[in-house]
Amino acid sequence: MTTYTICIFTENTIGLLNRITIIFTRRRINIESLTVSETERKGVSRFTIVIKHESREEVEKLVRQIRKIVEVMAVFGYLNDEIVYNEIALFKISTPLGSKSLDVETINKEYKAWVVYWGLDYVVIEKTGNDTEIFEFFGYLKKYEILEFVRSGRVAVGKTEKGLVEYLPESEWAYYL
Amino acid sequence: MEAIASIKPETAHAVDAAPALAPAPTYINGSHALMKALLAEGVDTIFGYPGGAIMPVYDALYDYQDQINHILVRHEQGAGHAAQGYARVTGRAGICLVTSGPGATNLVTAIADALIDSTPLVCIVGQVGKKLLGTDAFQEADVMGVTMPITKWNYQITDADEVPEILSKAFYIAQSGRPGPVLIDMTKSAQLELMTKPYVYQRCQSLVSYRPRRIPKQEQVETAASLINSAKRPYIFAGHGVQIAKAEAELIEFAEKTGIPVATTLLGQSTISTNHPLYVGWLGMHGNYGPNVMTDQADVIIAIGMRFDDRVTGDASKYIKQAKVIHIEIDPSEIDKIIRADAPVVGDAKEVLKALLPLVKPNDHTVWRNEFRKYDAIENETITVPELTSLDGKIRMAEVIDMLSKKTKGEAILVTDVGQHQMMASRYYQFRKPNSLVTSGGMGTMGFALPAAFGAQVGAPDRQVVAIIGDGCFQMTLQELGTIVQNKQPVKAIILNNNFLGMVRQWQQLFHERRYSFVELQNPDFITIARGFGMDGQTCDQRDNLSDALDTLLAHEGPFLLEVIVEKEENVFPMVPAGASVSQIRLK
Repeated sequence: MTTYTICIFTENTIGLLNRITIIFTRRRINIESLTVSETERKGVSRFTIVIKHESREEVEKLVRQIRKIVEVMAVFGYLNDEIVYNEIALFKISTPLGSKSLDVETINKEYKAWVVYWGLDYVVIEKTGNDTEIFEFFGYLKKYEILEFVRSGRVAVGKTEKGLVEYLPESEWAYYL
Repeated sequence: MEAIASIKPETAHAVDAAPALAPAPTYINGSHALMKALLAEGVDTIFGYPGGAIMPVYDALYDYQDQINHILVRHEQGAGHAAQGYARVTGRAGICLVTSGPGATNLVTAIADALIDSTPLVCIVGQVGKKLLGTDAFQEADVMGVTMPITKWNYQITDADEVPEILSKAFYIAQSGRPGPVLIDMTKSAQLELMTKPYVYQRCQSLVSYRPRRIPKQEQVETAASLINSAKRPYIFAGHGVQIAKAEAELIEFAEKTGIPVATTLLGQSTISTNHPLYVGWLGMHGNYGPNVMTDQADVIIAIGMRFDDRVTGDASKYIKQAKVIHIEIDPSEIDKIIRADAPVVGDAKEVLKALLPLVKPNDHTVWRNEFRKYDAIENETITVPELTSLDGKIRMAEVIDMLSKKTKGEAILVTDVGQHQMMASRYYQFRKPNSLVTSGGMGTMGFALPAAFGAQVGAPDRQVVAIIGDGCFQMTLQELGTIVQNKQPVKAIILNNNFLGMVRQWQQLFHERRYSFVELQNPDFITIARGFGMDGQTCDQRDNLSDALDTLLAHEGPFLLEVIVEKEENVFPMVPAGASVSQIRLK
């Protein structure tokens, strides 16, 4: 199984998420993670969808089907070594009186994670990284009582000279930046 | 109180600034905007069925009756298929107008059918008022959700101001690139409310995110041309895309210059006259023997506007492994979808053929072409001649189509339903004019023919339209007889009645040990039904009367229904069993 990161640029319209995910459903491809946000160009959204698949050919077909959607401007498929990517994970750790104390220095220096919220008897730690790094950190935190664990979908940028939006069809874009 | 006070000076200023006697602007409502938009797109015919949530549009339509011909169907599915028939013969979008909920869901089959057969439709569907959206209101259905996977594009209008822009987009998307159905879900509030700005309509010419490539890339054309020029046994597959692009003349010029034999897909039939020396027959499960077998002999396949449907390829893993494939297609997602293309050319079939023509060398593949004829002889001897000359037993479907073909000189528009009769019609009708077969190919929708024939007749009033319908299919949409009669359209309908769901029965016979599971029909008296609707008709069950019966049908001034009682357990051959390779095609 190879991990593919699919970046989709679309017009920001209602119902498009549905239109895109139907294509994965029809082809029986499971979505590992999905994030959407508006890009630096107004009205243009960027989807980052991670899937695992055995066949590159099938992924290429999937990409072509997504491209076919009227509101989709461009679709790019990447292997992991072609992108810089990260996720954000939040860990809620129980810290009642008398419990094992947190080694904040190790968390900061070794795992590059940060305590972002101190509750009365719990803390929330944020870790940014790829899934391997996040699960390594999860392994480290196991000795504490993990009350909640959540991670975001992947965000990714390509290791190319230009930004991906440069590949979009020419138009009069309104820039945020 | 404070907010009102702060607004006051501005309001006062606006009133002061306005000319004292300026007339108050009168803006039209969403329904009238819709009518104007339809007229701007040149719409002259709508197939529809009114209901609660589309009533404001129908109210506006009342004012436009002299410019737009509205045809009241008997069921929304009929509106969809009629619009398909209209679109297929005119090349312009067929328009459906129906109400919310069941009105819209009844249209779904036709929309799905139109998508897979690349037929342009603009479906305008009523929806409950904006405030009621998502409340399970009366006749509310999530039509956007339902039709998302079966439309090329869909959109919900909740604001009257959106009407001109969305309609122009809808027509552009439906009719450009690879055509397809679009659906506009229009809330009742958007139909009723006044626009807040003057109505201005601009036809859509392009969209940022949707840019179909009509003109091919030169390097792709050159690669294809060099493959064609070096081919020893080249072979053209012409699909529906050729007719959509109106590229029939270019195809013939290309084939004649290069001397390459042409086979068609089911929907590609009538692209080239069946008596053209380069036409070798049609491909696929029930296609001709030679065209199927010869796919394994070709060294270069030039597939034009076709999508390698599984009914064409049989087992795709064994299909044309020896040949280089040139795939000419306007929809890039079709490239490499089923069959890997060695030379893809993305573009409109007409433009690609025009670009290819000067680059290909004149040739004459006589020896190669003659090989097809050997298989024709086998097919003739084993299937065609016996089917046409057996003079015992009941009338055979082949005889009816063959006789119809001769009597109409191959010039009618044939609209077929789905099943054995569809395959027989394709096998035995000798098409002479382009764009003469309207059938449900990809979806295989039973009940398609009667309403589609009606729509085709509306779209092509000067041509003879003949529907070939099975007894099972007829009973799925027979209520459209009423539409045909009311609109005085001279549709000729032939029911080939074998009291069976014939194709299913054939499969049960061949692959399920004759276990005829629920395929026998106890049919009504079709002619009495037709007469009940005010349509003339007659039954023919004797071979000796067939010729006269067909003459009566064709000569009749108005619509006519001819029921022909045919052989009960007839099979359609040749046949590529499902999942088999095309070289395993069976002659019996």
